[in-house]
Amino acid sequence: MADNYEMMTEADYYALFEAYANGELAGPARANLEARLAADSALALRYTDFTELTSTLRAYGERQNVRQQLRSMHAAMLAADTAQEYIATPPTEKPATLTYSVNPMLRLSRTEQKLREFWNGHRATVGVAASVAILAVFSTLLGLEWWRAANTKPSLYGYTVLSREVERIKKNQKDLLNQVDKAGAGIVVPKENKVSGTGFALTSDGYLVTSYHVIQGADSLLVEGRDRQRYHAEPVYSDVKHDLAILRITDKKFLGFGRLPYAIKAGEVDLGERVFTLGYPREDVVYGEGALSARSGFEGDTAFYQVSVPVNPGNSGGPLLDERGNLIGVVSGRQNDAQNTAFATKSSYLMRLVDSLAAAKPVAPYHLPRYGQLAYAPRPQQIKKLQEFVFIVKVFE
Amino acid sequence: MSRGNSISSSSTPSDDALIAAIRGGDERALAHLYRLHWPMVSHFVLQNSGSEDDAQDVYQEGVMVFYEKLRDGSLELSCQIKTYLYAVCRRLWLKRLTSKSRFGVRLLDDEEHGPYLNTGAEEDLLAAEEQDRRFTTMSEALNHLGEPCRSLLEGFYLLDKSMQDLTAEFGYTNPDNAKNQKYKCLVRLKKLFFAHYKEAPI
Repeated sequence: MADNYEMMTEADYYALFEAYANGELAGPARANLEARLAADSALALRYTDFTELTSTLRAYGERQNVRQQLRSMHAAMLAADTAQEYIATPPTEKPATLTYSVNPMLRLSRTEQKLREFWNGHRATVGVAASVAILAVFSTLLGLEWWRAANTKPSLYGYTVLSREVERIKKNQKDLLNQVDKAGAGIVVPKENKVSGTGFALTSDGYLVTSYHVIQGADSLLVEGRDRQRYHAEPVYSDVKHDLAILRITDKKFLGFGRLPYAIKAGEVDLGERVFTLGYPREDVVYGEGALSARSGFEGDTAFYQVSVPVNPGNSGGPLLDERGNLIGVVSGRQNDAQNTAFATKSSYLMRLVDSLAAAKPVAPYHLPRYGQLAYAPRPQQIKKLQEFVFIVKVFE
Repeated sequence: MSRGNSISSSSTPSDDALIAAIRGGDERALAHLYRLHWPMVSHFVLQNSGSEDDAQDVYQEGVMVFYEKLRDGSLELSCQIKTYLYAVCRRLWLKRLTSKSRFGVRLLDDEEHGPYLNTGAEEDLLAAEEQDRRFTTMSEALNHLGEPCRSLLEGFYLLDKSMQDLTAEFGYTNPDNAKNQKYKCLVRLKKLFFAHYKEAPI
């Protein structure tokens, strides 16, 4: 066989190579092959291919074996860990918790496993998203707070007082028009009021009550009823601390309000009493109702009630009445950072103010209403009567 | 083998003794090594957004690199086995993460396992990748070989069966027939294998 290499098939060569690699060739045959390999480069290449092929095959087999081995090692390791766990925990005490202590990774449910994988894979993204969300929320809150702070004028009473600033833009426009008109025809147009609030009749002789902050710094006052009848008025007496002011109508043509349908309550009202108010947050009279929520006002001020009546700028100075139509307070303001929280000066403080008015000897006589007439009327009837005695107070500065 | 047994039964054999035992084919020494460094790699992969299964894959691949280098005698350790395995598994996991992620990957490393650079892990992994490619080609070549060639060669080279056993198993009349068939199969395999393996860029 070694003599006639030319006649050999490739398979024959492989048989020869294998015998040679296994050291099974006899001395002369081996020497012959080695000489041929040294001389014949094609044969040498063929031999290299053979060794590479067979060694790759064997290494591939080895790799598969070791892989299998490592897998079973891993399984054995986990199994051993579990076994140790059971031994490590004495089974007599607290049997309920014994399997959950040492290696919790082994006892994950599939869902939890999925969740953990998701968390591990996405925690960076989740973190960024969460920070952006938190940032957005806080900057929005901060922005709103700034905006609110910039739009709320600080008041004497700590909470937001509810006199209404009539639209400045409208005023500015009118001013411009006025200037043009003055230049042309010289007609004097009455000034536009800047602030408005609500007021109501205190006596039939022309005394009215409103909030002090409504008329604060006023040049002149105009009182306008539902029938658009206008009267000039002047402040007679104020109680800055309790946000009260008494006005008197100065017009000569004024004949009196007629008999007042409500009495002023001297005592205090119980919690939970149904209350309502009328006021002029806009050009028309607006009704609002609620309940007496607390017998003290902003920051525990006992001169005020807290009521759950929806009120708006312009409601200040409006009457607060109980179910029977007795006057129990004067609307003063609301707290912006609390829901449905309005404050009203207690009527007892109004009574005290009236008493001091008596002591000061007023220029015009006054008669306080003694008895209410609304006690058993249904609400719409009460309102129909009341609204004749509630006015819009316009302030010119 | 006796030396290997005595070593693997001691509680913490030194690296050198472990290497000698594994090189000698001691399965228990390999198991010991496997168990010893698993927590480190598992912790590393879990810490870097991998799952338990990822950790197992990476660790087994890493141990395989170490084992094959050790068995063919080309392992040149310039550091502890622990550091070497950490470096290899770190590199493997980084590669997987980078292929999975659209963003750049930054790994959280345990300080205690550094310095993982200059451990020779990079070069060993390049060699291991080449080896993987070789094995993949071999597996494909075997698949294309068809029966009974494939089973015959796998029986002889992969499963270490004797020619006598294979003769009986495949119903050849005598071992020489089986041998001749085996050589013919080997020639066919050679053509399939080198056709694909040498074409591929290195």
